Amino acid sequence: MQRKTSVIIEILRYGTIFLVLGFFVFPIFWMVLTSFKPEGAIMVSPPQFFFTPTLENYAHALFDKNFLFYIKNTLIISVISTAIVVAFGSLAAYSFARYNVGDGHILFFILSTKMMPAIAVILPYFLIFRDVGKTAIGKSLHLGLDQHGALIVSYVMFNLPFAIWLLVSFFLDIPRSLEHSARLDGLSRIQVLRKVTFPLAAPGIAVTAVFTLIFCWNEFLFAYILTRKMASTVTVGVESFFTLQGILWGPVAAAATISVAPMLIFVLVMQRYMVRGLTFGAVRG
Amino acid sequence: MYSLVDVHKRYGLRTVALRKVSLDIRPGEFFVLYGPAGAGKSTILNLLAGLTRPTSGDVRRNGASIAHLPPERRNAAMAFENYALYSHLSVAENLAFPLRAAGVKPAEVTARVKSIAGVLGIPHVLDRRPGFLSGGQRQRVALGRAIIRPADIYLLDEPIGHLDAKLRHRMRAELKALAVEMKATIVFTTTSSKEALALGDRVGILNAGRLEQVGTPADLYDRPANTFVASFVGDPPMSYLNVSTRAGDSGPVLVTGDGQVIGAAPLSALGRTGLKVGVRSTALTLVEPGRPETLAGRVEVLEHLGHSKIAVIAAGTDHIQVSLPADAALRPGEAVGLRIDPTRLHIFADETALTMDAA
Repeated sequence: MQRKTSVIIEILRYGTIFLVLGFFVFPIFWMVLTSFKPEGAIMVSPPQFFFTPTLENYAHALFDKNFLFYIKNTLIISVISTAIVVAFGSLAAYSFARYNVGDGHILFFILSTKMMPAIAVILPYFLIFRDVGKTAIGKSLHLGLDQHGALIVSYVMFNLPFAIWLLVSFFLDIPRSLEHSARLDGLSRIQVLRKVTFPLAAPGIAVTAVFTLIFCWNEFLFAYILTRKMASTVTVGVESFFTLQGILWGPVAAAATISVAPMLIFVLVMQRYMVRGLTFGAVRG
Repeated sequence: MYSLVDVHKRYGLRTVALRKVSLDIRPGEFFVLYGPAGAGKSTILNLLAGLTRPTSGDVRRNGASIAHLPPERRNAAMAFENYALYSHLSVAENLAFPLRAAGVKPAEVTARVKSIAGVLGIPHVLDRRPGFLSGGQRQRVALGRAIIRPADIYLLDEPIGHLDAKLRHRMRAELKALAVEMKATIVFTTTSSKEALALGDRVGILNAGRLEQVGTPADLYDRPANTFVASFVGDPPMSYLNVSTRAGDSGPVLVTGDGQVIGAAPLSALGRTGLKVGVRSTALTLVEPGRPETLAGRVEVLEHLGHSKIAVIAAGTDHIQVSLPADAALRPGEAVGLRIDPTRLHIFADETALTMDAA
């Protein structure tokens, strides 16, 4: 009797896992499948699961559309943005968590900068970068329209508040006595940060980096408005496949597959740290 | 020698942690700070460690002010109440941390870690992370990390408070032996009066930020400065009788509520209200009821402690605890007489001890 119930439970368990997984994975599976389909096999009804695979979509995306150029732009912009966000975010969050700078008001002000929807600020951003790009500083930092600097600044502005809020809670989770103990052992304030606080906050920093990088990688609106050609990112690149002659579904799928890959690899690498991040509070006294 | 001189410590505008505390900690002494939670014990440790600065007053080492010396330059070691273990490091690495920070050679670090783990009975968990230890094991790691390196002063914040009774007893003995061996200056906080009396060369008693009394355990037992101190030492704790004074044949005497004279009163007690007499169980003898010069009472509660019994005796409106041999034949409700040794009374007016007039 017992045995029978447990078998049924197992079947239900795996059945549910399979269903949920199918629901989430199928679109990605279909995208990858489509990227290998010849043009004639894409928009047919009923949909085809078996066909002669081809690489022509990848060839089109990579060589005709020069998609690697977009990947390169996106990498430059998102990695630099993320580095800045993590560096400034963790230092700011540390001071908020430890010294209660601004008594909560500054922290709230930082959050309030996120209250404006992106679409509401995009026009001022456009005008600002247009004018700043013409100044000497703007030129040297590539802050003009269709330049990497403009997008980096925008992404930092958009992600920093979120990163600070996320990190503050991680730093609050580290008992002060850990830092005190290290001070007594002879470490200076800076050494304590480097050897104790930041290693302990590493999971939180990893989570923040992942969120920020994913946001930057997938961002479309800013990239679409602020760039034309030279600094366009993958999302804008894919959009350029929506031509007057129609949507090139095959190359779109190929380009999308290429642009998903780096994120997937990155998240898999960071997963270790992130899981530790989620169980972070468990190791306190 | 470490000294606190008129130290006042406030957190924010309202919270007063310490009020005018002056205290000397002598070299090589095991000094215990006792007090209920929130009395200011940890604040004193933090002041000595340099983790916080006094609002007013001074912290001195051998006479020179160290109030503004940062913690890393004080050569103090501290065990924190919440352990403060580095969760990203193993137990061995936690123990090694203070040594590595001090630049001790790796071979010596390993040897010292091994030996301290042996002393604390945790050699089998050296490879684990603190997250996988029991509360008692964590506390021992925290203690080990504090005592692993030579320091001018060891500050131990309730280092054995979270252990179970048996282990606590063992650690208490080991700590005392270790302290004697190390000849170290130790400041130890606790909320257990037994621990304070058992460990301390001297004990400082804190209550709501005030240092009520400092002295050897014997001082505190024999000459408590006030009722707070008096109730803290001794088991069962001191019992109190509400009394008044009147003139007797050879000076003022103390009279209980029902008119019984129980002993001589100092002149300073005359006319004071709120007078209390404290009696320790050892100053009391149980006699048959109705004898002259005894206090009439009735047994209210009997507590069996195994090796002895404690009887709570109602005398008028007061309750008195008497320790009795385990085989004492007494039943609740029984009428008894209480004889009080008149030379061993503690007289308090408004909670503060009055001293007897010199003869």
